[in-house]
Amino acid sequence: MHKSLFSAYPLRKNAVASLRDASLGFCPRSPAAFCACAQKSLDPARSDIKTFCSGIYLTRFIVILFIAFGMPFFAYSFELPDIHGFVETLYAPRISKDSLTKHDDRVALEERVQLKSRYTFSEGFLASLNSVINFKNDFVVDNYFDNTLHYKLRELNYSFSPTGFMDVKIGRQVLTWGVADYLFINDLFPKDYVSFYIGRDDEYLKAPSDAARISLFPSLVNIDFVVFGFEPNVLPKGDRLSMFDSFQGGIAGRNSERYLIEPAQTAENLQYALRLYRNFGNIEGAFYAYRGFDPMPRSYLDEMNRKLFYERLDVHGLSLRSPFLGGIASFEGGYYYSSQDSAGNNRLIENSSYKVLAGYEKDLGNDLKVSGQYMYEEKLNYSDYITALMPWDYFWDARRHVLTQGLTKLYKNQTVRVSVFNFYSPSDKDGYLRASISYDVTDSFKVACGANLPWGEDNKSEFGQMQKNKNVFLRARYSF
Amino acid sequence: MLKYLFSIFTFLLLSLNIFAQSADELVAKASHASYYNGKDGRAKAMMTVTDAQGRTRERALTIIKLNIADNAEQKYFVYFHKPNDVKGMSYIVWKSTTKDDDRWLYMPALDLVKRIAASDKRSSFAGTTFLYEDISGRAITLDNHELLSSDGDVYLVKNTPKDPKSIEFAYYTVEIDKNNFVPKKAQYYDKASKVYRVIEALEVKDIQGYPTIVKMKATDNNANANTVTEFSDTEYDINVSADIFTERYLRNPPQQWIKEK
Repeated sequence: MHKSLFSAYPLRKNAVASLRDASLGFCPRSPAAFCACAQKSLDPARSDIKTFCSGIYLTRFIVILFIAFGMPFFAYSFELPDIHGFVETLYAPRISKDSLTKHDDRVALEERVQLKSRYTFSEGFLASLNSVINFKNDFVVDNYFDNTLHYKLRELNYSFSPTGFMDVKIGRQVLTWGVADYLFINDLFPKDYVSFYIGRDDEYLKAPSDAARISLFPSLVNIDFVVFGFEPNVLPKGDRLSMFDSFQGGIAGRNSERYLIEPAQTAENLQYALRLYRNFGNIEGAFYAYRGFDPMPRSYLDEMNRKLFYERLDVHGLSLRSPFLGGIASFEGGYYYSSQDSAGNNRLIENSSYKVLAGYEKDLGNDLKVSGQYMYEEKLNYSDYITALMPWDYFWDARRHVLTQGLTKLYKNQTVRVSVFNFYSPSDKDGYLRASISYDVTDSFKVACGANLPWGEDNKSEFGQMQKNKNVFLRARYSF
Repeated sequence: MLKYLFSIFTFLLLSLNIFAQSADELVAKASHASYYNGKDGRAKAMMTVTDAQGRTRERALTIIKLNIADNAEQKYFVYFHKPNDVKGMSYIVWKSTTKDDDRWLYMPALDLVKRIAASDKRSSFAGTTFLYEDISGRAITLDNHELLSSDGDVYLVKNTPKDPKSIEFAYYTVEIDKNNFVPKKAQYYDKASKVYRVIEALEVKDIQGYPTIVKMKATDNNANANTVTEFSDTEYDINVSADIFTERYLRNPPQQWIKEK
């Protein structure tokens, strides 16, 4: 078995993500090299984090009220830009009960309001730089946990073009690159796999980053350079979705007690991502480089105290995409270098590895599209890894194969969309079927239903560990 | 006598040939007038779709185009203003008459640039009764053209696909205005020679010396639905740079042409 996309490794017990949300995007960090954000803190002094965050909570609530009701008012009064967004409700009952999690009958019940706006400077110096401010935030009442209002800033950034061949975007933003569907090799930007599994819109698979993105467009090659702070992937942690926890020896829910130790937000821990890309005739080619941390907590910091951490990671890769036989063919590959275990003989730290992927998508006419992908991953220095293992260790296969199949069909003047996407790993003997039907009742009102069906023969494989979380979901959205 | 007959035969052949040529020329002129005015251009389009139950949906978009070669390659940039759930999406087409178009779609919520498999040009454009081919033009080399009549103020041209298997219509006729070569009405016939799709130019205006369709309608008789498209803010020869039609501007739409608050 192998741990990848999101690792079968233990996931954080605590609620760093929600603490972060609760503190308007700023998780209280310890000035030490690592910040342990833990709900069940090992260190009694850490309880101050909770207090701090709940203090922030009140402030946040006021800010939410101000923004939710104030912004439309100001927009109206001072001709600020239009505000758009949606109101949405999501209900996702479980197909089979899972007594490990907080609620055994559902994975989600929530209401969401999204507000977004875009301000384009029309006069003066900033206008001459094509300055734009983007804003997008979600207000979520999460009935799964606490019924309280959560404020989630997804975008607040300023973009401008200081010269004719340069664009800059600074602030909170969503970042994506690479050519694959739902599989990521050179895109190490943060993902939210909890959202992915509980029926939220695809938009929420991508978590925002606090970043500066500089894009250069000289004639030879286009360059994207991103500097961003560490932001881990949002992964199941047992309270809402159960998953494999090596410390519990199997699939765990609320009994999981692990601590995910994040790198401190210091200058030396900033992450860098580079993309060079250009077209060669019809073929789009890109080269990628990344230096930062693994966004998955795959390595052990302290086994005795159930602490995991995000090891340092460098990735180099490339991608190609081109029309081929009436469809689009794509290829992507990447080499993952684990500098803290470059010899591969430290059993506690993830080894280096590589991943390659080939994909094809074709439009068969009549609004029917089909796609397929094949991904292969291999852990390097595998024999060193195996030799270093202790007898009681869980271990992972050297190789992993994943196939995906996708189908999208539109009906009734493209107002009805039927979509099926299937992951299948013949090596892990697991898979994940995602299916959905959505209907645009009007331009503004949309309903969707679907199912998330992960399965597997093994408890610790990527999709197999999710097997108790099978759910169906129902969403209704009103856009304005 | 035989020589006389031969002359008549030759004359007939020649005249048929002349007719055939002029039909091709007419179609080329109509294609130019519909899609290739100016060296570049920009327009806002408001599309109103009305279904069989009388319900309406609206699509608002800005279209920027750049002509690369007359009646051949073009580049398009499309920015969606409405409906609200797709607002901010942009779309690039590198149109080709000899191979499949290249298309890219940008989804701002995911910051995702997706390359679109574009082999089917006869699918609905953005859920309207217009097809992709109606928006960017059907390559004139795909059909055989025949001038049926030149009565009144229009030429009536019949267009029969060279590869009938590749397409859902048997043939279509186009009425071309004799004065400015703007196609005023296209009627698509199915295999039973029944009209099932009609595209009409409802209003034509002179903009910067170019006859321009400012209001058009596509009716789908089978679905009993139609779409009316009204173009506004149309401008030609605005010096659009070819850079606009690249990933850079997909992510950062060119504000000076989009003009959105």
